[in-house]
Amino acid sequence: MDRYADMEDKLRILEDLNMMYIRQIALSLQDSDIQKKIDHEIRMRDGACKLLAACTQRDQALEASKSLLTCNTRIMAYMSELQRMKEAQVMQRVARRSSEAGPTDDRRPCKGKVAISDLRIPLMWKDTEYFKNKGELHRCAVFCLLQMGGEIHDTDMVMVDRTLTDICFDNTIVFNEASPGFDLRVELYSCSSEEDYSAGSTPRKLASKLSSSLGRSAGKKLRAAVDPGAGNRQTRWPALLVGGPKYHLLAHTSLSLAHVQDNFRTHDLITSEECTYWVPLYGSVCCRLAAQPDCMNQQMMSGCLKVKQLGGDPQSSTNVYGVLKGTNLSCYHRQEDIESNVEPAFTIAINKETRIRASEKDPDSNVQSISISNLYGGEEVTHTVSADSRQETHRWMEAFWQHFYDMSQWKQCCDDLMKIDLPSPRKAALVTSKQGSLYHEMVIDTAGDIGTVTDILTRRMQELELRSQLGTSPPWMSLFAESPGRQRSPRLAGHSPRTPRRLPRSPLSPSRCPRPSLLSSDASLTSDSDSPCSTSPCSRHGGLAEPLSLPSSRFRPRTLSLDAKLSTLRGRGYGGALQCSCQPPTSSLTPIPAQRVSQATLSCSSSTSSNSSSEGRRSPESLDSSPFSRPSSARRSLRSMRAKLDPRNWLQSQV
Amino acid sequence: MSFIPGQPVTAVVQRIEIRKLRQGEHLILGFSIGGGIDQDPGQNPFSEDKSDKGIYVTRVTPGGPAEVAGLMMGDKVMQVNGWDMTMVTHDQARKRLTKKNEDVVRLLVTRKSLEQAVRHSMM
Repeated sequence: MDRYADMEDKLRILEDLNMMYIRQIALSLQDSDIQKKIDHEIRMRDGACKLLAACTQRDQALEASKSLLTCNTRIMAYMSELQRMKEAQVMQRVARRSSEAGPTDDRRPCKGKVAISDLRIPLMWKDTEYFKNKGELHRCAVFCLLQMGGEIHDTDMVMVDRTLTDICFDNTIVFNEASPGFDLRVELYSCSSEEDYSAGSTPRKLASKLSSSLGRSAGKKLRAAVDPGAGNRQTRWPALLVGGPKYHLLAHTSLSLAHVQDNFRTHDLITSEECTYWVPLYGSVCCRLAAQPDCMNQQMMSGCLKVKQLGGDPQSSTNVYGVLKGTNLSCYHRQEDIESNVEPAFTIAINKETRIRASEKDPDSNVQSISISNLYGGEEVTHTVSADSRQETHRWMEAFWQHFYDMSQWKQCCDDLMKIDLPSPRKAALVTSKQGSLYHEMVIDTAGDIGTVTDILTRRMQELELRSQLGTSPPWMSLFAESPGRQRSPRLAGHSPRTPRRLPRSPLSPSRCPRPSLLSSDASLTSDSDSPCSTSPCSRHGGLAEPLSLPSSRFRPRTLSLDAKLSTLRGRGYGGALQCSCQPPTSSLTPIPAQRVSQATLSCSSSTSSNSSSEGRRSPESLDSSPFSRPSSARRSLRSMRAKLDPRNWLQSQV
Repeated sequence: MSFIPGQPVTAVVQRIEIRKLRQGEHLILGFSIGGGIDQDPGQNPFSEDKSDKGIYVTRVTPGGPAEVAGLMMGDKVMQVNGWDMTMVTHDQARKRLTKKNEDVVRLLVTRKSLEQAVRHSMM
């Protein structure tokens, strides 16, 4: 049947017509700026569609779909802006014709920069899901779309699964032309990462052939996708014909001037109901919303002035070059001083409590002057400021009024200049693509006495694809290490597939550690590696220590050697109350600057794989395993490990 | 600065913004922390209430970014970049301060002198 093909054709035509319409309006308005932007977005959109049709990998498809959604949103925004402009034009013409009074001289507040950063959305998994790690790992791809007026920005995409406690977006997004009445809409989109996209991705001819034999559910889906439906964003007209993963709106909120603060705040989210793309949101979003109105960081007015302080010598008035910026009128001796960064001669505060009024004409010079009064700690101090000519004075008064108006509109943003950090480009290299929760990233010692830990750390440093999410249990977990009941011999040679980088370990020589508790460490080593590992994600995780769950069937990756270490140390009962005090960092520090134990090195007694990156200090080539080194330093690192774990110690970390 | 479980914690805080210093490939802040919910609070020399398991600043490197920003020894760190620090383990606290992709950390810290200053100013 050709009805799907027909519909597709019709939609394509509608699409083209719409595009033509937009272009027409843009042309008629003779606004080349918007025209260029629209053309650019349309080109981007075409590119994204092509990429979506062509790509085979899920990650690529998700990224392309995200760009597509962003492009569509931008096109919509430009369209509505165009329509508004068209309307305004028409209204103006009408107004002129009816010869009404010209537009009233409204005072407009200055624009400013608004930055939103450190977006964090906490998740609320059911504890059964999170801790027991049952079932398959459902993953969702999420990203945020931030819209203010016509400016739309998207954050990077983050994969969410139940090992994540918060969705963190590291991007800092700055909107440059914001007015104080801005409305920043934050939207969280998500897409289930396991959906079957077959309905959309089949080529057209095939689709028409298959349409006759479409099953009920697939047919319903297709019909739903094609039907314009309840005006939800997902079925926007340009997106209908494109296959691939589709993002859905999961939650949204609107932020405005009242939410701006030079601090982190939590805001509520409006979430949608449970469905395939649902992620259990706690219901709020934490972020830092800062604003820098232009009046705070730009020179609003400058010129030569004569300043006299009331109460001082009535004859002395100083000639200065005044600059009105932020909450101050800075008076420099000379104009050149500003460039040469010389401190101003003095500064008069211009803030919400300042009172400014024009005083009577000075009988001598016949020029009006302006008096500025401030309360400095209970005392009123007045400065009289006069300009060279009447026009200058008028301009200054005008500038002051504008400044006060701006401050009244931008409210708390004018108390102090809020800092907006623009992310440095270098950061992009350091940020890894995958995210883990903080709980998984705990390491006890970066000093490398445990080969595996350092191994993992070095890998992290290099940001390999095989990103290990090695975790160590908190020190108190060692109390729950399993009893020395298992007597399996430590043969680990064959268990590399799970952690390919680990070499076969040398078994713990009983001679070194005569205590029986050692066997438990052996056991923990072996039992861990021997336990069945059913799901694939485990193979990539370095290790999350969970000795409690070992006997159970579910395999949870863990730090094999680390656990052994813990038991070993406990067994020895070393009682040193060492405090790992901060040493000055040596030449090349470890990536995670935890305890800086100066002589930290590999521990030979640890039965872990030999990893040369002894302290994580060496550079990339340390990835290949080289034999252990320096047995003498083992003792020191051992000491530091023990110090860490001994609950009698009070740990200190240098950051 | 003790807390009653179940009740919100209130404190007079000061905002401190520390710009990390880049040393080679590392970002350092220039201070040391102690404490955490997994640590023994009785050994904390800076806390008033010896059952306080919060994160305290135990040392400030002279001339370092933290000192420049106004951090003082004995301060209790309440929040780092929006993340809570009153109920974290020692390692979690360290991690939150040492994220590689952050150049700036904004802390909320409290100290006894702040409370006193507020009280005096109200008198």
